[in-house]
Amino acid sequence: MLKATQLSKTYKSGKALDNASIHLNSGQISGLLGRNGAGKTTLFKILCGLITPDAGKVSIASKKQKPIGAVIEEPGLYTYLNAYDNLKVFSQIQGAPTDITTLENCLKEVGLPLNRKDPVRNFSMGMKQRLGIAIALLNNPDILILDEPFSGLDPTGVASLSKLIKQLANRKIAILLSSHLMAELHKVCDDLYIIDNGKIINQGLTQDIIDSQVTIYTITGKNIENSDFIQSYIVQKEKNKVTIKCDSEAISEILKSLLDDRFKVTSCVPNITLEQLLNPVSK
Amino acid sequence: MKKLFGLFFFIFGLTCISAQEIDSDLLKIKSRMDAINEFSAELQLDLDAAFINMPTKYASMHYTKGKDTKFSSDDFVVLPKRGLDFAFSELFEHPFITVDRGIETKNNKQVKVLNVIPTDNKSDMALATLYLDVKNERIAASEITTKKNGTYALEMEYPDLEAILPNQVQVSFAIEKLKIPLNFMGSDTDIDRKTMRQMDTKTGKITLLISNYIIN
Amino acid sequence: MMLPLLKTELFKLFRESKTWYAIAAVLLIELIILVAAYYQGAEILDLLLENLQQSFYFEGNLLNGNLLLYIVLNSLWFNLPLILMIVSSSLITDEYKNGTLKTLMLQAVDKRKLILAKFIASLIFTVLMLLLLMITTFVLAYGIFGTGDLVVYLGTLNFFPSEEAFKRICFAFASGTISMIFFTTVSITLGIFLKESAKTWIASAFFLILSSLLLKAKFGLGAVESYFFPKLTNSWQRFFDYEVDVSSILLDNSVLGIYIILVVLIGTYYFKKQDVG
Repeated sequence: MLKATQLSKTYKSGKALDNASIHLNSGQISGLLGRNGAGKTTLFKILCGLITPDAGKVSIASKKQKPIGAVIEEPGLYTYLNAYDNLKVFSQIQGAPTDITTLENCLKEVGLPLNRKDPVRNFSMGMKQRLGIAIALLNNPDILILDEPFSGLDPTGVASLSKLIKQLANRKIAILLSSHLMAELHKVCDDLYIIDNGKIINQGLTQDIIDSQVTIYTITGKNIENSDFIQSYIVQKEKNKVTIKCDSEAISEILKSLLDDRFKVTSCVPNITLEQLLNPVSK
Repeated sequence: MKKLFGLFFFIFGLTCISAQEIDSDLLKIKSRMDAINEFSAELQLDLDAAFINMPTKYASMHYTKGKDTKFSSDDFVVLPKRGLDFAFSELFEHPFITVDRGIETKNNKQVKVLNVIPTDNKSDMALATLYLDVKNERIAASEITTKKNGTYALEMEYPDLEAILPNQVQVSFAIEKLKIPLNFMGSDTDIDRKTMRQMDTKTGKITLLISNYIIN
Repeated sequence: MMLPLLKTELFKLFRESKTWYAIAAVLLIELIILVAAYYQGAEILDLLLENLQQSFYFEGNLLNGNLLLYIVLNSLWFNLPLILMIVSSSLITDEYKNGTLKTLMLQAVDKRKLILAKFIASLIFTVLMLLLLMITTFVLAYGIFGTGDLVVYLGTLNFFPSEEAFKRICFAFASGTISMIFFTTVSITLGIFLKESAKTWIASAFFLILSSLLLKAKFGLGAVESYFFPKLTNSWQRFFDYEVDVSSILLDNSVLGIYIILVVLIGTYYFKKQDVG
């Protein structure tokens, strides 16, 4: 759906993007993971046509009037207008439908209440993000790009937004998210791009990337700290929770053994940090 | 008693002498004018001055002998203070003597020039020069120098040989030092100070066309 | 696409409380000027006519609605643009500030058409403001002070009959409107370059003051000089010359129109070239 090849952009302060290539497929959720200042936002702005790259090309296989919908940095909203009027304004300017039914459906799709008539300046961060996404979805784009959509959200907000994004992928929209927090991306994204100092240093299926670099897992379950089998792996012990050191190949065996010993495992989360991904160790 | 009688004769004599000192032609004109008690007329005023632009104005006037002349207009009108006395009632209001200055030709007409000097301090007038159309027994022109309000020249024209009231009067006037408040001037008007100083006293004239006399 | 863009711009403009504050401020200023004009008018007439009164009677009232409107016109063209420029420039600077320009550019909208819609919205706002001002001032001035001859001093003392004065005042408002459109258009272009509201207001105010100062300046360039823009923004005054040079005023306003188009083109070109965010 979208193919960006060898994009570069240099500012006075330095090189923001260095030969970055990315491609997005319909119905797939891709993640862009990197530190603050790694070049994520610059890449997004180039993909959306807000800024022109110094080198490289972006091709989009879409015939839509608005092929890409995006929320870059904070959602820019008319704070003196309410949610409905914001949608109306952004719809009207591009000739998209502005009838009540369509706009109310837009609000419903992102989980915003229909009865809030007060101006957007009164909205929480989460609600503003949702409205931003609703505006990005106006005129039915084929691609959705969200820059740090989880920032400023509490865990409930993160969960609810993740659910929304997965629902949107089901509509065959190609989605690209960015974050500097691995925990948020790995639950949602099918594939990942790791960016550092403007360069894409790693890319691939999310699970493959995690599996290749993970060395720590957190397992929770009743009395799990008492398992004999696990003692040699334990790095940290708490009531009903242990942090163990092992790689992705060993974890299945460990979980099988715990289950054989009749321990009820309620969750097993790979602890992988951005630092690990930015400094991959070859196995 | 004798002294009183003598005084009486003396005063009478004086009066007779002063009566004899008023030109007889002027007296004839004066009596024609005195016969007019009241009249009203329509006025058309055209002001012609270098420093004033005003469109033609219309007014009506009502003259009653011995009273102030009344003017009315729908428009804003500028009326000369001294030029509207074409019954010359103010001129003749106070006692005066005349001095004959001879015959001149003014506007292709033969006129008798008279100086009129008021003898009463109460008169506003210092001196008047009258140009008399003796043949038709009326005043053709006048120059009146007032004590406080400058000099006015009047030129009269009459509709026919009989008329005593003019159908056209031209009043020439002079204004000293026109004051212009600076913030009222246009913001891009140039102030030519030199020229303004040179033209301290400005002159102009008003032409009055008088019509529709209703004389009582 | 232009019409929906324009409708949206006007919708946003009139939903902002800032716009209504500006309208209220303008009406209040107009009221204050009218009151001041009344007292000023009495003083001016006394001074102007003092020496004339030695030789003339005046029948009729010169301190009427027409004189007050003339005095209002004199002070309007500096106070009004200061406020109008704040509203117009915010059409673009607020979009930068709130990040909504970014959101706009992420929709299927042509950049050039967007900025043109803003220029047109500003023009419509300016014209509406002037109409409002004109109607309210007329109602107040004539309602309270009545009609009558107008006297102005422009090198000579000019007297105009009431109906003619009314027509000249209307034309003066029309001519002044074109000058106001020029200033508000400049403020938007300044906003495109400077992006921040405060900087744009300062630059706009500076531009206005500069134009006012340059009005009387002479550069020794002869006839060409009269087409330099500061010389063109005061043509309303020329409707009070005794003999109105209509063709010359039309020419001046047309040249000002060309300046307006030039400013729009510069602003549009630069806006299109600019990266967003």
